[in-house]
Amino acid sequence: MRIAAGVDVGSTQTKAVIVGEDGGIRMLGYALVDTGANVQRAAENGFLAACRESGVEPEGVGYVVGTGYGRYKITFGNTQMTEISCHARGAHYLFPSTRTVIDMGGQDSKAISVGEHGEVLDFVMNDKCAAGTGRFLANAAEVLGIGLEEIGPLSLRARHPVKITTVCTVFVESDILSYLAQGKKPEDVLGGVHLAIARRTVSLARRVPIEPGITMTGGVSRNTGMVRALEEVLGAKMQVSQQAHFAGALGAGLFAIEKMGESFESGIWRASNATPRG
Amino acid sequence: MGETQASEYRGDIHRQQRDLMLRWYQRLEESAHGGPPAVSLMISGNCVELLEAFGAVPLYPEVNALQLAIRHQSLDPILAAEELGYAADNCAYVKADIGALVKGITPTGTELPVPKLVLCNFVGCNTYVKWFEHAAEFQNAPLAMLDVPFLRTAEPRAEDVAYIVCQLKEIVKQLEELTGRRFDYDRFREAVRCSARVEEAWSRIKHLARRTPTPFDAYFDAITLMGPLYVYRGSPEGVEFFELALRELQEKAERGEGIYDQERFRVVMEGPPPYPFFRTFRDMFAAWKATAVASTYSTVGGLWEFGFRHDPDHPFESLAMHMLAHNVTNRNYLQRYDQIRRYVEEWDADAVVIHFVKSCRLFSAGQGDMRGYFTQQLGVPTLYVESDLEDPRYFSEAQIRNRMDAFFEALEHARSTGTLHRGVAAIRHAPGGEIAPAASDRLKILQ
Repeated sequence: MRIAAGVDVGSTQTKAVIVGEDGGIRMLGYALVDTGANVQRAAENGFLAACRESGVEPEGVGYVVGTGYGRYKITFGNTQMTEISCHARGAHYLFPSTRTVIDMGGQDSKAISVGEHGEVLDFVMNDKCAAGTGRFLANAAEVLGIGLEEIGPLSLRARHPVKITTVCTVFVESDILSYLAQGKKPEDVLGGVHLAIARRTVSLARRVPIEPGITMTGGVSRNTGMVRALEEVLGAKMQVSQQAHFAGALGAGLFAIEKMGESFESGIWRASNATPRG
Repeated sequence: MGETQASEYRGDIHRQQRDLMLRWYQRLEESAHGGPPAVSLMISGNCVELLEAFGAVPLYPEVNALQLAIRHQSLDPILAAEELGYAADNCAYVKADIGALVKGITPTGTELPVPKLVLCNFVGCNTYVKWFEHAAEFQNAPLAMLDVPFLRTAEPRAEDVAYIVCQLKEIVKQLEELTGRRFDYDRFREAVRCSARVEEAWSRIKHLARRTPTPFDAYFDAITLMGPLYVYRGSPEGVEFFELALRELQEKAERGEGIYDQERFRVVMEGPPPYPFFRTFRDMFAAWKATAVASTYSTVGGLWEFGFRHDPDHPFESLAMHMLAHNVTNRNYLQRYDQIRRYVEEWDADAVVIHFVKSCRLFSAGQGDMRGYFTQQLGVPTLYVESDLEDPRYFSEAQIRNRMDAFFEALEHARSTGTLHRGVAAIRHAPGGEIAPAASDRLKILQ
């Protein structure tokens, strides 16, 4: 079996996926670690954890494609590709009917128009502003003193979602505080926060434009409240995989399998290349 | 993505343009010490020929601003202007210029003169009205407004031309009073004749980029040539320089030399560059061996590659025509669409890249729709990136690089599957399979 890996070093979390090809292509295992300050270390930790998860020796991995903002810091990687190409590819693998990808990550949100083979036809991204990204939600959770995992389910209980007028990740805090001061319920505030982000993201996505076969990827896809809010604004259902968070790393792994065919190099991982532990 | 190759062409013309620009700053310093009079002008659709008739030196605040930015000196004057009360989203050119005036900063360290006249040849950009009012105030210099009507129709109306000619003649009288020099009509006609020759050479240079591979980058290298184009257009030095540039680039083209060992992508550029990160931005294209074959920004001073020339037999009228209709900023947006489309078709491009300038409403408003027009109506792959032309704080390298890399990855993939089309074919493969009508056909409604 040919084994390759994709490592997606995102702004918040690093994802690694091990992919094997033996007749068909399978995802053998995956892992998630916080990126933190040491990007190189995070990439290694993620990669090693995914190897353990897959029961694969690191030395047995023939090709590694790095993606995400930290991709150039992956010293053991063979090549780098942008997460735009990788998310498109990963989403298409998870749902071959994918024609539009909505990816919401820690600091990025993007919409990608995807061709029938998982290729990128067009894309748009947020620019210079974290509105409409995971960071916006994290800030809201922090102000409300609620865990990040809980805000989605809680937002689903909103009966009268408030109107969040700001799209600024920083100023949303004062909006939230003023609603709380008015006695609004946390679920209604969260309902409003989720809708505000969904509207912003959908207006971004409409520029690609949106074709049926919408797949959501990225860390925020685990937030059920966000998925619901997006579907409400889109007026359409989205395809969300359990592995949606790993779509970028998975896409990188798929590219890695392809590239292995072009130049096979075994034992790409060498312990001597690793960042010194201290 | 392979190793990044240097994309910059360094020929005699690059050395000469640097010398010419330094010579310009020297002349401005001479002007500050009793030498030739200086007159402030804005670049777009300028009437530098009028100044030549008085032996006056043009002083372009935009050139000073961009020179500060490219030398990584723009942030201090911008901050100085913000301290004065200029808002964060004011045009960063304005802030850099006003801040530099207040702090006494000049790009080369040489002294700049107080202009005899701050002449706002208001062409398309209404921010310039305020900029030049402020510049006149801060320098205690007289101000004149040349009111150039926006091009509302495909061709300028006769009354618009007459309106401008009338104003130009008023400016002549004003300049005679302010400089104490007589207007030399023969010298004016000679300047217009020089301009026509420069425009012919510049246009031929632009057309060299239609070849594959293109011998120079019609965005980054064209910008290098734009300084002399503005300062020396109406002078024999300008003619000499541009005819030399044409010969040099023509020889390069005849040798079949491109910018890279292999030219992989041909793009049309829209929007001014991020001057504070000019090299970084250029290298992002070089990493993919992508080259600009045409650019709208290089037509801010004048749009000549489609045939317009100044006319020494009708000098005032041709100045008016140039200001009204033959520079990109005074033309309407649909005409810009068509200009870019012609570049894609006739300059054999694969794609369009739009650089949105955060602090410039004139150039940037509507670029989101422009992107939609090219990607969705014409089917031409179009990338949209944002930063600023002057303010380094708006340039986010990781974000821009990410978009550029993703865009070229997608183009590379499309090429490998035979779905990337070039030139006329790029438009012919528009969604729906029909050839989209020219955007400016809609203009007929206005006429």
